[in-house]
Amino acid sequence: MTGGAGVSGTLRGARRPGPAWVVMLVCTLLACTNNPYPDADADKKILYTSFREAPRTLDPAVAYTTSAHAITGAVYETLLEYHYLKRPYTLIPGLAAGLPDTRSDAEGVTVYRFELRPGVLYQEDPSFGLGGAGRTTREVSTADIEFQLMRLADPAVNSPVVEPLSNVLGFRDFGERLRVRREAEPEFATLPAHEQYADVGPIEGVVVDAPLGLAVYVASDYPQILYWFAMPFTTPMPWEAVQYYDGEDGRPRLADHPVGAGPYVLAEYDKQARYVLDVNPNWYGVRHPEWKAPAATYPSEGEPEDLAAGRLDPAYVGRPLPFIERLEARREKEAIPYFNKFLQGYYDAAGVIRESFDKVIHEGGLSDEMARRGISLEKSVEPTVFYIGFNMDDEVIGTVAQEPGRKLRQAMSLVVDTEEYNRLFSNGRGVPAQSPLPPGIFGYDPDYVNPYRLVDLERARGLMKAAGYADGIDPETGKPLTLTFDTPDTSAQGRLRFEFFTHAWRQLGIDVEVAATNYNKFQEKVRNGAYQIFMWGWVADYPDPENFLFLLWSDMARSASGGPNTANFKHPRYDELYLEMKSKPNGEERMVLIREMTDILQRERPWIELNHAEDYALFHDWLSNVKPFGMSFPTVKYRDLDAGARTRQREAWNEPVLWPLYALIIIFVAVTVPGVVTFIRERQ
Amino acid sequence: MEAWVFSNIVVAILITAAVGLTGVVLRSRMWSNAFLSLWRRRRVAIIAIGFYVLVALLDSVSWVGGEQFGEDAVAKYQAQSILDRAFAGIRERSYSAPLASVEFYGGAPLVHPGRHLLGTDLLGRDVLHLALKGARVALLIGGLTSLIAIPLALLFGVSAGYFGGRIDDFVFFIMSTLASMPGLLLLITLIMVMGKSTFSVCIALAVTGWVGFCRVSRGETIKLRELEYISAARALGVGEMRIIFRHILPNLAHLVIITFVLMFSGLVLSEAILSWLGIGVDGSWGQMIDQARDELSRDPIVWWNISAAGSALFGLILAVNFVGDALRDVMDPRTLREGE
Repeated sequence: MTGGAGVSGTLRGARRPGPAWVVMLVCTLLACTNNPYPDADADKKILYTSFREAPRTLDPAVAYTTSAHAITGAVYETLLEYHYLKRPYTLIPGLAAGLPDTRSDAEGVTVYRFELRPGVLYQEDPSFGLGGAGRTTREVSTADIEFQLMRLADPAVNSPVVEPLSNVLGFRDFGERLRVRREAEPEFATLPAHEQYADVGPIEGVVVDAPLGLAVYVASDYPQILYWFAMPFTTPMPWEAVQYYDGEDGRPRLADHPVGAGPYVLAEYDKQARYVLDVNPNWYGVRHPEWKAPAATYPSEGEPEDLAAGRLDPAYVGRPLPFIERLEARREKEAIPYFNKFLQGYYDAAGVIRESFDKVIHEGGLSDEMARRGISLEKSVEPTVFYIGFNMDDEVIGTVAQEPGRKLRQAMSLVVDTEEYNRLFSNGRGVPAQSPLPPGIFGYDPDYVNPYRLVDLERARGLMKAAGYADGIDPETGKPLTLTFDTPDTSAQGRLRFEFFTHAWRQLGIDVEVAATNYNKFQEKVRNGAYQIFMWGWVADYPDPENFLFLLWSDMARSASGGPNTANFKHPRYDELYLEMKSKPNGEERMVLIREMTDILQRERPWIELNHAEDYALFHDWLSNVKPFGMSFPTVKYRDLDAGARTRQREAWNEPVLWPLYALIIIFVAVTVPGVVTFIRERQ
Repeated sequence: MEAWVFSNIVVAILITAAVGLTGVVLRSRMWSNAFLSLWRRRRVAIIAIGFYVLVALLDSVSWVGGEQFGEDAVAKYQAQSILDRAFAGIRERSYSAPLASVEFYGGAPLVHPGRHLLGTDLLGRDVLHLALKGARVALLIGGLTSLIAIPLALLFGVSAGYFGGRIDDFVFFIMSTLASMPGLLLLITLIMVMGKSTFSVCIALAVTGWVGFCRVSRGETIKLRELEYISAARALGVGEMRIIFRHILPNLAHLVIITFVLMFSGLVLSEAILSWLGIGVDGSWGQMIDQARDELSRDPIVWWNISAAGSALFGLILAVNFVGDALRDVMDPRTLREGE
């Protein structure tokens, strides 16, 4: 009985707070906000940004994606860096006290000697306890750079940059010695990496000649090696971190826990959802602002447009970096919600998404709506090139076909309208390419117009006739010449893209069939040389013409060496010029060589150059010092923001819209009151 | 043999078969009554299906030759259908709204102003032309797949139902195994293995689509084999095959027709889903919808491409479903009795 009363009482008690719950719900709704960040952070200099693809690894020896470099570039410091504002891209000292001394000897070996800044510390990290009880950091030494170079050469690490770094004397030999030793002695393979390296090493061309001195001997003439010292691949790596973060006993892997000496530390990391970078109090720029180190001080020089854009504001020039105290990045898989959050002020900067392009951009500039919101637009051309390539080993379209083949390629090049292509598929973004070299790279000539990249149908028809394919008819079959365009892109957008090209070639009477297969099948075709036409792109590793022109060097031919010369272009004179150009410093002599190489490409047409990608960056007016960099290089330390202005704008743009709630309440009352009244009347 | 010649031969065979079938229907009182009853119930739907069939035939009859079509110098050497010829040489540069005289983005004047009833797509192709071309693909997918799936289902279903025993166990095992696999994943796997083509999509849809009708035909066969006239035939020493072909299969004819119609619409929809996933058939409505999905989020929105494909797909499936329902009413003796 008691229990029954209790239950009854509980039930009555449960019914009674009904109105209270409604009141609480209404109050909660009224207090509701769409702000995804804590109010306490409103006045802090936190840069809010986003990422789309989760980084696969943060190990700087392996990480090669933009999403990974956004973190590794901020956490790991490099010997050299790029000047933030100057174009063409210019190297400046980072961890190194200055640019390296360069000396070439008679045997064709070039020595680059770096001198490291003294007293540079790593971030605080428990892994340093391996070097002595209670230690949480230590000084960066050149031995750490040597250790990292050994990691790059280590076959077990599987670094993607072994090929270019093999120019360092003894680099490959070291990797090979390591492999042989591990196979011969399985127990040796279980030792910590630094012990194995010490036993098998050193790399012949990497000499630590003083605690802060490092000499790198480069076997061939490869001045581009310096660019690799501006990338996180060659960062100093503490052996303690490699040994400690092994994924055992609850410790994370090094791939998820970077330990560096850069301006930021990774404070929180959920790679599928969110990461936070905090300022590293041990960074040399923070600890020693008096050094006025070039990579730790806001630059005083730049391009004329930087002055106009306020990026050389005296309030910033010469001030120690960084300005932003924290960076918080959230994963946004879908473009539209990401862009809406930017418009609400919850992201400080964004790209222009294709879906909203016409709303944001008007006649090449910002639309009035965006300008009214105080949004700014920065355009920049990325160091990339996209092209249609011909397989030069092919009997119909390649070098084997001699003059008819060349004329056929020239004709096909003359009907591909890149401006129209950009307009249809990239909202007009992209600079039509005239040669492999994009703007911002030495050798790019803004006045150069490739005569085979103009659209000229009549001339193209004439060339077809001269090639023996009048009106596109193949004399052997009496039917239109049939070619195949191979691609791994099976998407709907891809189909439209290829239809654009095939339609252009049909005007010449050439019937190009698109063979869209999966990526593995496509790779197999490329391996076997069973392809005629393909579409490809290249994003620069470093800003040097060599990094583009090597794509057509015969030593890199896909058929011969599996290299990135997928067109299998082999031209003795081009090779000769390339090898000469490669080792030359930027200057008139190099320019002459590049011009001749460009002339060869213009005539031979192994590629139909399409475009150099153009990046449109949007940012709110509370964010300053924004300059798109083009390459994968984090620039967060140069940026600044006005958190107060941001809070005010966010509040103005995100005022709660309460009328739907009031309307719902009125509807609810209007519907329920008559019902309740009727119910009471019936009960009476 | 060239594909277009084969296509023309198929069209000739289909037309001959249709004429022959009409003769059969006219001669048979039962079938002509059934058709008349169907016509009275679903006149609009039948006309709609007839329209789709006509469009598909117009897109299937093709020949080589004729003048150059616009700027396309290859087309005159390739077989062009009647439909292609009707829409030849009216390509624009890019998007234009229905019956517009200027481009949708940028406002440049069109080459053929006011000529595009349903507008043009990203590449300036006439959307009405693309939508009409989709009818052939839809009918091909629905028809060819049904022609593979129904005989397969009948073979297994009748064998299992008539002979029972181990054959029944075996067929049931296959049916249960197939039914326990996620249909869409199985479809995707089959297409990936066989390669992307119209025929492989039909095979994949047939392999995953025969189980339902197999179950029905098995049950119906079990019921039929116990009837007196079958027992009598067996007692008179009539062979098993003769019983199946003479007495069982004709009694399953109404089920075959109803299943064919209902399966048809399901198959067309399945192909649209596959195309949306990027593994469908070139030129289908599903592919049009796939290509147009980003257009809905454009600002201003490009709505005519997806609307045309969606409406064409919806119209065919609705008409076929209406006719299928009416067919069931007309051909199923039980519903006839209830109706009367």
